[in-house]
Amino acid sequence: MRDWEELVERRLNGLALEPAESAAVIAELAAHLAETCEELRKQGMAEEEAVRRTLSQVEDWQKLTRLIQTVRTKENTMTNRIKQFWLPSLLTLLLSMGLLALIQVFGPNPWLVARKSGWSLVAPVAVVYLPWLLSLPLVGAMGAYFSNRGGGSQRAVFASIVFPVLPYLVFFVVALPVMAIFNDQLAHSIMFGALFVGLFAWVLAPGGALLAGGLLAQFFLSRRLDSRRIAGS
Amino acid sequence: MIGTEIKRGTAELAVLSVLEHGPLHGYEMARRIEQQTKGALRFTLAALYPMLYRMEQRRWIRGSWETSDNGRRRRCYCLTPAGKKKLSPLRQEWSELFQALRRLKKVSHA
Repeated sequence: MRDWEELVERRLNGLALEPAESAAVIAELAAHLAETCEELRKQGMAEEEAVRRTLSQVEDWQKLTRLIQTVRTKENTMTNRIKQFWLPSLLTLLLSMGLLALIQVFGPNPWLVARKSGWSLVAPVAVVYLPWLLSLPLVGAMGAYFSNRGGGSQRAVFASIVFPVLPYLVFFVVALPVMAIFNDQLAHSIMFGALFVGLFAWVLAPGGALLAGGLLAQFFLSRRLDSRRIAGS
Repeated sequence: MIGTEIKRGTAELAVLSVLEHGPLHGYEMARRIEQQTKGALRFTLAALYPMLYRMEQRRWIRGSWETSDNGRRRRCYCLTPAGKKKLSPLRQEWSELFQALRRLKKVSHA
């Protein structure tokens, strides 16, 4: 006889409720599956087919886990949003900004650049920028991990990964053009060139680096979850 | 968005309606709804339980554990006074909606 409780427990492995509450949910869903399977067996269906039909009631166990979590938890939707999106997003933003500042202060110090106004002011962009860019996949991976751990949907995970480039995107798409319109001292002739170079250097390239790490982490996290599910079925 | 709300509304009405006749556990509830609607409304486990838990949070229904004759523990749900109170206006709303749709159908056939 199949242990439905064990199967449900494995498939709802991300359910973060109080132990007694989780056990109650697992027992209830397992009883439902067991009865469905028994009924199908009574109708003369082979066991394998009955089990397959029974399990087909849930297409996406992760989604079901999230739904139950949201409904059963005493916390409201806002709290879930904080755990799944805002905290991971602010963490990635803080880490990316912090790393940039740290690299500027403690990063490679170019030998051949004149130190007219302090080393931190004359360090070439590449010396600061490239190490920062290379560190971003790790930041993206952390965003994906924390959003995933909070039970975030694919959309929340994606938004948490790319969140650090949003302030730059707003700056280049909104603030810079507005400044150009209202500030006469800004040279309009270099505006478009600067806009596109800035957009590439501070939005597209960092966004790509964050996504490279974040999506890779997400891929491995989902694979780990899938392998647990296969082991549980 | 409308689709989701309509689905949720009909599903809640169906659950409250079958519970009006007495307490039921989830599996039996799904079976009764399917039988009484001649298969028009079907609940899978994934659709039923999040909704039952939501309705329980709203205090429309209340769940309690019972042990069946074969020794299996099942959670039975019954209507609360708030659920009974909700059922009547919900029926009225859906009845008005269906009447409106029927009128609309007649107009389009005319």
